[in-house]
Amino acid sequence: MRRASEYDLKLLLKSLGAEEVSEPHEGALLVRVNWRRLPGLIQGLLREVGLEGVRHSTCVGIDARPLNSSFKVLHILALDAARKYLIIEVEARRDRASVPSITPLMPAANWAEREAMDLLGIRFEGHPEPYRLILPDDWPEGIYPLRKDFPYNRKLSQLLKGSGRLSNEPRSFSANYLVRQEEGWVKYAAVPFGPYHPALHEPEYFEVLVEGERVIDARYRGFFVHRGMEKLAESRMTVNQIPFLAERICGICGYTHACAYCQAVEAAAGIDVPERALYIRSILLEIERLHSHLLWFGVAYHVLGFDTGFMAMWRIREDVMRVAEALTGNRKTYGMNLVGGVRRDIDVKKAALVLRMLDRVEREFKEFYSHTLAMGEVVERVKGVGVLTREDAAKLGAVGPHARASGLSIDVRVDHPYAAYGFVDVNVAVQDSCDVLARIVVRYEEVLESIRLIREFLTNMPEGELMAEDVEIPPLRVGVGATEAPRGEDVHVVVTSGGNKVYRWRPRAPSYMNLATVPTMLRGERLANVPIIIASIDPCFSCTDHVLVVDARTGAKRVLRLGALLKRG
Amino acid sequence: MAGSKPWFFRSTWVFHLNSGSCNGCDIEVLNMFAPTQDVERLGVKLVGSPLHADVVVFTGPVTYQALPYVVEALKAVPEPKAVVACGSCACGGGIWHDSYNVVGGVNALYEILESQGIPKPTTIYVPGCPPKPEAIMYGVLLARGLAEQRQRREVFVEEVPEGLAIPEGVEGLEEVVAKAVKAFRYGGR
Amino acid sequence: MGRLSILAEGLSKHVVTEKYPYEPVEVPEGFRGKPRIDPSRCVGCGACVNACPPNALSIADEGGYRVLKLFIGRCIFCGRCEEVCPFQAIKLSKEFELAATDVGDLTQEVRLVMAKCAVCGEPYATLREVRKVAEALPDGLRALAYVCPRCRELMTSHYAGFARR
Repeated sequence: MRRASEYDLKLLLKSLGAEEVSEPHEGALLVRVNWRRLPGLIQGLLREVGLEGVRHSTCVGIDARPLNSSFKVLHILALDAARKYLIIEVEARRDRASVPSITPLMPAANWAEREAMDLLGIRFEGHPEPYRLILPDDWPEGIYPLRKDFPYNRKLSQLLKGSGRLSNEPRSFSANYLVRQEEGWVKYAAVPFGPYHPALHEPEYFEVLVEGERVIDARYRGFFVHRGMEKLAESRMTVNQIPFLAERICGICGYTHACAYCQAVEAAAGIDVPERALYIRSILLEIERLHSHLLWFGVAYHVLGFDTGFMAMWRIREDVMRVAEALTGNRKTYGMNLVGGVRRDIDVKKAALVLRMLDRVEREFKEFYSHTLAMGEVVERVKGVGVLTREDAAKLGAVGPHARASGLSIDVRVDHPYAAYGFVDVNVAVQDSCDVLARIVVRYEEVLESIRLIREFLTNMPEGELMAEDVEIPPLRVGVGATEAPRGEDVHVVVTSGGNKVYRWRPRAPSYMNLATVPTMLRGERLANVPIIIASIDPCFSCTDHVLVVDARTGAKRVLRLGALLKRG
Repeated sequence: MAGSKPWFFRSTWVFHLNSGSCNGCDIEVLNMFAPTQDVERLGVKLVGSPLHADVVVFTGPVTYQALPYVVEALKAVPEPKAVVACGSCACGGGIWHDSYNVVGGVNALYEILESQGIPKPTTIYVPGCPPKPEAIMYGVLLARGLAEQRQRREVFVEEVPEGLAIPEGVEGLEEVVAKAVKAFRYGGR
Repeated sequence: MGRLSILAEGLSKHVVTEKYPYEPVEVPEGFRGKPRIDPSRCVGCGACVNACPPNALSIADEGGYRVLKLFIGRCIFCGRCEEVCPFQAIKLSKEFELAATDVGDLTQEVRLVMAKCAVCGEPYATLREVRKVAEALPDGLRALAYVCPRCRELMTSHYAGFARR
């Protein structure tokens, strides 16, 4: 489907059963469909454009009961070639609060649907793994945190009062699994990898099933970092406080979240952000990409046992942090965005600082990288390791450098231009070998491209205002804001409430999609390669865990869902 | 603790504990070990197990899911120990301090520990979001007794002035109100 | 070969390590460090409290004083308070060495005297706020600033004839 005109898309969607197709803002189509016709619509779309033509970005569950409605589900599908986001709006069946699951058709929707199940109690009929994702296994039934009748600040300890269970009893780790294979039941030993394993800096939990040195399967049981942000945004926070909340989703790619949120609100409300502000946002976004990729190189080298590489990369990166501090007032958490523009300017002196930094970083980075590629022991450990085929990447909805290393040429800066990216040409780095080495090469090329882009932005930045005047936000408008974070597509969906509040905010970070590819990549690999494979997707666990999680109430052991994992892929 | 005889008779071994933070503070903690800051020249070393630690650098607001592991990790650190609560989340619960799945930073965590009979450990609070690597370094040195604390509580109490009645020269209230109402009703004096 | 090049490069580079804590570290202009309320300028209006995303700033009435508390432990150093204050009474400084052994050390408190209503005697606003408003009002209305909103409402409606006599 090559850049189909809007007219064709609307016709197509209507012919596939959509009740109404409208354009809430540029780059998006709002498609209302009855729940009965949802699977047919998705199937028809897939038939027309193929698995690589449409990506499932995220799904948003909304408690619309106070609005005289039932629960709503918004599926955000990205049609990269057509430069459109489809917002498929479905109202749940009122009697059962259910919608049909589209995971059987689009596996990438798996986690997003489960999240809506967990937090809102919407049933997704036909979902192959209708199990808890965010909340602990023994979370009390019938209590759904994102429902409008649940108060955001009722602490878990209050909820559990009188239940007789200490809320800080550690969960027991299952050490042995019984797995049904063709020859009958086979016992496997699992190696718990986390939550505080030295290779990881975050408290995340991977369960890796091994037979000797070979990985049979893996399971990710994370979401330790849920802080209840989505609920907070709907309740205590105002529209202009949320950029600061969004920036703290992740301390590495925070600014991209702040931008995506502001873009979503600005799109929903039809706010025209001044061009100079767009350029400033773009410059800072690329500076963030620089720091993030250099950080990643350091961590990757460290995980490979090459600490000199870690030190060298973080030494080079220090320059970037100092420049960020000079531009924004802090090394990280730039705090530059408000809805409608930016808070600070980049004057001539600051621009000169940036350019000097870019020259130094480019020279030193290129030099060091070429040295490491000449080191056989580094290359051998990453060539052919952790393969994610192009087909799997497309099926699971992988994004960012991870997807581009598997041959998929997708990049939000090109496919859904935002900020000032529409005014420049971005060279997208793509590799075909689908292994860890490919991911290294892609990120190397992206660092150089970022440097080039910042220079171009600084040269072409126009004079003008920094903030839109008269920011007015009408109620109940939907907006989709997407950015290309260092890890991939970052999508924020906002439903406005009018005035100073939002009705719903759904941030979906890129690692959410990429983490789902880890089991596929780990199968058949040596145990020793597990850390570098996980590190190669540049996992940002805090981005993935922006919603709330609560502790278990009883000490009951969870029945393994291994069968479901083995069935996948 | 600060300024007194150092209680560790060797270098400071640090265990980094993330209780659900956004990673901002964690990256700055790691940055301390990078060449520009190089905290290792001050004898500070990162260890992989809480059992080897003198100081726990604590980040995050403590989510309920991380709570059991955090308690276990803290219990495992042998005395004498200090906790460096790093960042807005650890010091005060952070921007989401009242969210219901957030325990609320180290002080709320200590309440839970105390209810289990575990005494509150010596704590150094390092504000920031995230704090600079140098600020965290300063905090670790404070824990070690090698730096002086600069931050102090500040209280200002305004002096109560003589008499709070309406000052001289202002007309009586009844006349004022009557005039105001007349102006409002009839659009003029 | 790569290894040797790295080694050679490392040996030829100058030392990049800064001398902190033996030498101070400079922060750039516009650095977002510790916020501080200027007690001479603050009137207790609470605009900063409204804007503060982590509720590091709080305001409460206690014993005839309006107490403004700034807990820098929870502060996220965003600078919104500085941006919204109508009297430039709170500003972010360049200080970043804020570590403390007691969480109580991380607080700044400003206690402002509250004015008592000339009619009912209840405290309703800070004296500074009342005086600022009184200054701005014309002569004939100045007394109104010293009456609390509720009494003002009662009096006005009385005179306007809305209240039943």
